[in-house]
Amino acid sequence: MNKRLTTFYWMTVPAVLLFFIFLTLPALQGFYYSLTNWNGFGHQYHFVGFKNYINLFQDDNVGNAYWFTFKFAIVVTIAINILSLLIAMGLNAKIRFRNFFRGIYFLPNILSVLIVGYIFNYLFSNVFTIWGQNLRISSLSTNILGSEQLAWVGVVIVAVWQGIAFNTILYLAGLQTIPTSLYEASNLDGAGKWREFWSITFPLIAPFFTINMVLAMKNSLMVFDQIVALTNGGPGRATQSISHLIYTGGFRGGEFAYQSANSVIYFIVIAIISILQLRFLQRREMDN
Amino acid sequence: MWNGVKRLSALAAILLLTIVVSACNKGDASGKVQIEFFQNKPEAKGSFDKLIAQFNQEHPGIEVTQVNPPEAETVLLTRVVKNDVPDIVGLGATDTYSILAQSGIFTDLANTELPRTVDPIYLKMLKDVTGVDPVYGIPYAANANGVMYNKKLFREMGLQVPKTWDELIATAQKIKAAGKIPFYFTYKDDWQTNLPFNALGPNLVGIDFFLQRRENQVTFQDKYREVAEKQLELLKYGHSDNFGKNYADGNRAFANGQGLMYIQGSWAISEIRKANPKVELGFFPFPTGNDAKAVKLVSGIDTLLAVSESTPHKKEAEEFIAFLLKPENSKQYITEQTLFSAVKGVTQDDPSVAELLPYFKSGRVIDFADHYIPKAVQLNSIVQAFLQNGDIDAYLAKLDREWNKVANRR
Repeated sequence: MNKRLTTFYWMTVPAVLLFFIFLTLPALQGFYYSLTNWNGFGHQYHFVGFKNYINLFQDDNVGNAYWFTFKFAIVVTIAINILSLLIAMGLNAKIRFRNFFRGIYFLPNILSVLIVGYIFNYLFSNVFTIWGQNLRISSLSTNILGSEQLAWVGVVIVAVWQGIAFNTILYLAGLQTIPTSLYEASNLDGAGKWREFWSITFPLIAPFFTINMVLAMKNSLMVFDQIVALTNGGPGRATQSISHLIYTGGFRGGEFAYQSANSVIYFIVIAIISILQLRFLQRREMDN
Repeated sequence: MWNGVKRLSALAAILLLTIVVSACNKGDASGKVQIEFFQNKPEAKGSFDKLIAQFNQEHPGIEVTQVNPPEAETVLLTRVVKNDVPDIVGLGATDTYSILAQSGIFTDLANTELPRTVDPIYLKMLKDVTGVDPVYGIPYAANANGVMYNKKLFREMGLQVPKTWDELIATAQKIKAAGKIPFYFTYKDDWQTNLPFNALGPNLVGIDFFLQRRENQVTFQDKYREVAEKQLELLKYGHSDNFGKNYADGNRAFANGQGLMYIQGSWAISEIRKANPKVELGFFPFPTGNDAKAVKLVSGIDTLLAVSESTPHKKEAEEFIAFLLKPENSKQYITEQTLFSAVKGVTQDDPSVAELLPYFKSGRVIDFADHYIPKAVQLNSIVQAFLQNGDIDAYLAKLDREWNKVANRR
């Protein structure tokens, strides 16, 4: 064998092996268990075929979790992308203390989601309510996380607050790839700021827009930590995301096989969404 | 490049070696028998540490170590999956215990001396919960679920301890009329919403209901309407943000005199005292009906002790449990934790729970409802949702539907 090729094999084969052992194998195992009635710890289980999958489609808790997760993911993805693009443009402009602001905006990304969640949990129940009472705004004087209708808004606020940081960094990187000569030229042609944004900035950072949309969507479809720290899926099941349902049902409820089936379906759904998103947004990049 | 490869393989070898070595470390270096005691109560960690230190000193050949992770029940389940069951497990008599006992991972202790030292009423409770005969767990400490009240504020308003449901509501009305908070609800945590459920269900409907429900002979829709109505009724006497406060918020608020009554378990006493050591606490059983003599105190097994079937050190594990069950050790534990001992003849002398003692003495106790409801039903979230929307029909139908779904999946 060619000596150079050997080196490349040394690089790829272990990676493939590790990937297979730690990712592919457990996924296959999960699929296998989804065909059984295993509770997760007993010594015996039986094959039940596709019964778990049939039950899944009749379970309103599952439907409820999907509905919440999608609603949440769409709102969060849009909010994060709009806000982080705005912030990134601000941070890219020649303002004073630019590096200082960049540091500040990146801070939420460094903090652990769980800790942020617990802090906000305290704020929602003990601080914002007092502000609401003092300002005599009735909707703010009770904890919104305790309301079936509003709890999801609270989770969205925290998820967006924290999610913005990372996407801002990506947009900043994108903005810096745009040559300043383009702006100088458009200035000479007398283009306004708005025109400049739609005709130069936005088309040129299109690849970054794509990746940010996909990442934000994927992250918010898999929302888990925020839910645990803020509402634990409640009140009732009003804020139960799919991954939270899989965790509580599978590990704490002793329905490992049933929730394995749920995660197989969930995996397929996320894969399809990501592929569709990539194809659609990348085609848009080409058009421009 | 080859150098790099060599370095990599060396690294891999080191990694492998550490894995092998750490796997071997389970065997002991000191020549002592190592026993792992896994328990699920973070509040009790300090108390057990003291007892363990004493045990280790008295038994030079054995070394017990305590493991008390957060989310202990989940951790325990995942460890069972890995066939890595701790030598001794301390756990509440919950549905998790029931599932584990049914899976046969614990040793049957019926033929040892251990069950003879504890109150038979709790052994019967364990049998009912699990539905199996062998004694897989030794009851150690019991808790109580009832209504805590602020004695000082009760005195100031001239209130009596209510003995019946009507008296309870009348008391709450009086407090509300005076512009104070009758019950401090902490319903942001879903497990808090089921405390009234746990008292009302067993008292009004009985524990047999669950045994029959398992056989599909009864439904919640037939029997639980009164329970549901009373759950809703209580909500009228809360504060302005019943669903916005959690357990920790509630302990702080109640300790500082917000709210005259607090539907809670005895496990909260130590937390409340931490927030305000001077608070004068009283505790009475939840008066669920109007026959004061029929009211039973809801009490469950807070901790039971079980020995792993697979441990090679069964004898030493039993020795440790026997040590914990000694009257003086049990007394020390329940005094620190304000719990009730399952050991015969050991009594709780804390003044805050004095009103409960006659119930224990005469055996007027009944188990928690949720110990009989499969965890996968997720009772807590159903109750929490019901209290928000107040739809009794939907609530009872949902309980039945979820129960059937879970039974069908097993």
